Amino acid sequence: MEKILNKKHIDDWIAALDSWDILGPVLEDGIWAYQPVSGAVRLDHPNTRQSPKGLAFPQREIFFKFEQIKGEAPRLTQVVPDEQRHAVFGVRPCDGRGVPRMDLVFTDHVEDNYYQARRKNVAYVGLACNKPPGPNCFCLSVGGSPVSTDGLDVQMTDLGDRYFVKAVTETGKGLMTAAGKLFAEPSAADQKQVEQVHADAVAHPQRAVRNVEAVPAKLKASFKSPLWQELARACIGCGICTFLCPTCHCFDINDEVQSKAPLKGIRVRTWDNCQFPDFTMHSSGHNPRENTGARLRQRVAHKFQYFPENFGMPQCTGCGRCVSECPVGIDIVAVVNKVVENAG
Amino acid sequence: MPDNIYLPELARIAYIKDEVYGERAIKTFRVEPVDGELFEHDCGQCAMLSIFGRGESMISIASSPLIREYKQFSIMRVGRVSSAFHDLAVGDVIGLRGPYGNSFPVDDWRGKNLYFIGGGCGLAPIWPVITTAVAQRANFKNITVFYGGRTSRDIMYRAELEKLRESVDVHLSIDKAEEGWNEYCGFVPAAVMDKDPVPDNAIAITCGPPIMIKFVIQNLNKLGFKDEQIYTTIENKMKCGLGKCGRCNVGKDYVCVKGPVYSWAVLKNLPEEY
Repeated sequence: MEKILNKKHIDDWIAALDSWDILGPVLEDGIWAYQPVSGAVRLDHPNTRQSPKGLAFPQREIFFKFEQIKGEAPRLTQVVPDEQRHAVFGVRPCDGRGVPRMDLVFTDHVEDNYYQARRKNVAYVGLACNKPPGPNCFCLSVGGSPVSTDGLDVQMTDLGDRYFVKAVTETGKGLMTAAGKLFAEPSAADQKQVEQVHADAVAHPQRAVRNVEAVPAKLKASFKSPLWQELARACIGCGICTFLCPTCHCFDINDEVQSKAPLKGIRVRTWDNCQFPDFTMHSSGHNPRENTGARLRQRVAHKFQYFPENFGMPQCTGCGRCVSECPVGIDIVAVVNKVVENAG
Repeated sequence: MPDNIYLPELARIAYIKDEVYGERAIKTFRVEPVDGELFEHDCGQCAMLSIFGRGESMISIASSPLIREYKQFSIMRVGRVSSAFHDLAVGDVIGLRGPYGNSFPVDDWRGKNLYFIGGGCGLAPIWPVITTAVAQRANFKNITVFYGGRTSRDIMYRAELEKLRESVDVHLSIDKAEEGWNEYCGFVPAAVMDKDPVPDNAIAITCGPPIMIKFVIQNLNKLGFKDEQIYTTIENKMKCGLGKCGRCNVGKDYVCVKGPVYSWAVLKNLPEEY
């Protein structure tokens, strides 16, 4: 399904989706974030600070409550994610491509109930990048594209005073038919224009990981390279690279005690981070990744070697957040290229 | 949510035994189901144990799969959860989920000589294989157990090992000589060399401190054991047990799914991240 939506009708479209909670990019204190929107939706954002991965994989997920009166068996009460549906507007193609990668992690081997419960209630309405929205975009070099529909339910393309709107999935079709009257059939001129916009978007120069298919073997050969420690020397282990990443999925599970007698508390999953020293530290004190070099290698190899080995695609989608936001200038594009070059 | 993968079942502690006292204290726990039955497991698999309010910890299942009434865990007091375990009493209720990971291919070893080589609390992960092999004694040829502790007071499963002598060869060792100790004095890898095990039609299964495993494998290779004949089980920090939380990987594989049991032929080609 391909339609034209006049820009002045976007708010009416959103109003028609009354069974959905709508999120859109909102600029607050200089930071773009996906937030609930009711009225006007702006889709003139570069990219948001955080990807929308938290909708299916929230930073904090309560698994269950536990309660125990002394001398009795503990009582466990599951906390089940609510069934509210969320449609998130303005998702950039890199973040769209993050979705199927997260799906792979949370469905491989066994299905993660919490992820699945949330994921099935999220619709991703994407916005193609007519030109790269940031200086560190590199989606093309990791198998993506500024006009990719991968992971999206709907793709919108800005044609000036109107959007070209394409349903990618049945869910997306449902979102469009909910406000069918607002949409017009695209004319031949609209079709021609969207093709041109997409062609220009793909032709726009970007930064690039060189020859991404060859990277896994080169990284494998570089496991013991002293380059890792050299490249990681400035790392302060803050972990912003992974917190902002649309595909980082590592988590911790902890108990939070609210009352000691009677015992009351919750078991909580929170995002965790491979750049923290205690991420892999055994209780004996032994740490298989004991320095920043080993931890940088893990982040890079996970994206560009292990994930391709397991799933046949890089995990990185080229959004560039980890490059732009790193306080010490560690640049994953430069790191991969340098290690690969050094491997010969 | 049915089949919630993170929701533990409840299990009651039926038995506690002090194995080792002191700073490397080890206690053995046997747990029984509070309702119904506990899951089935294979030799070498692990389970995620919970003490509500303290958290979870991945522990090797130390009882044979042939025992259905309880599951046994031998836990050294080292971290937040393992220390809390040492404060539990019989009757206390814990959480249990699993089983996780792969297992020792015990059925493939029928008709072979088995050498078990353990050190410290590394006896626990291979104990289910030892006890299963002994229970099915006729399926195997010679069974030999090497086990060493730093001192005589660090030897766990002491009574069980003495009973084991009735059906298999048991060689105990301690690092340094002590009065009244009549068996081998020295490190486990040397204790193995001392008995000169023969690699023909044999499988060697080893678990213990990483440094011990390293030298045991070197010595086995020297004795002519091929990499395919040597098995070990490794550990890494784990949170989920399901290949999702992202921390126990060795290269592309999560130990909680593809491990913890590895033949040396496989493990020696993986990056040293454990």
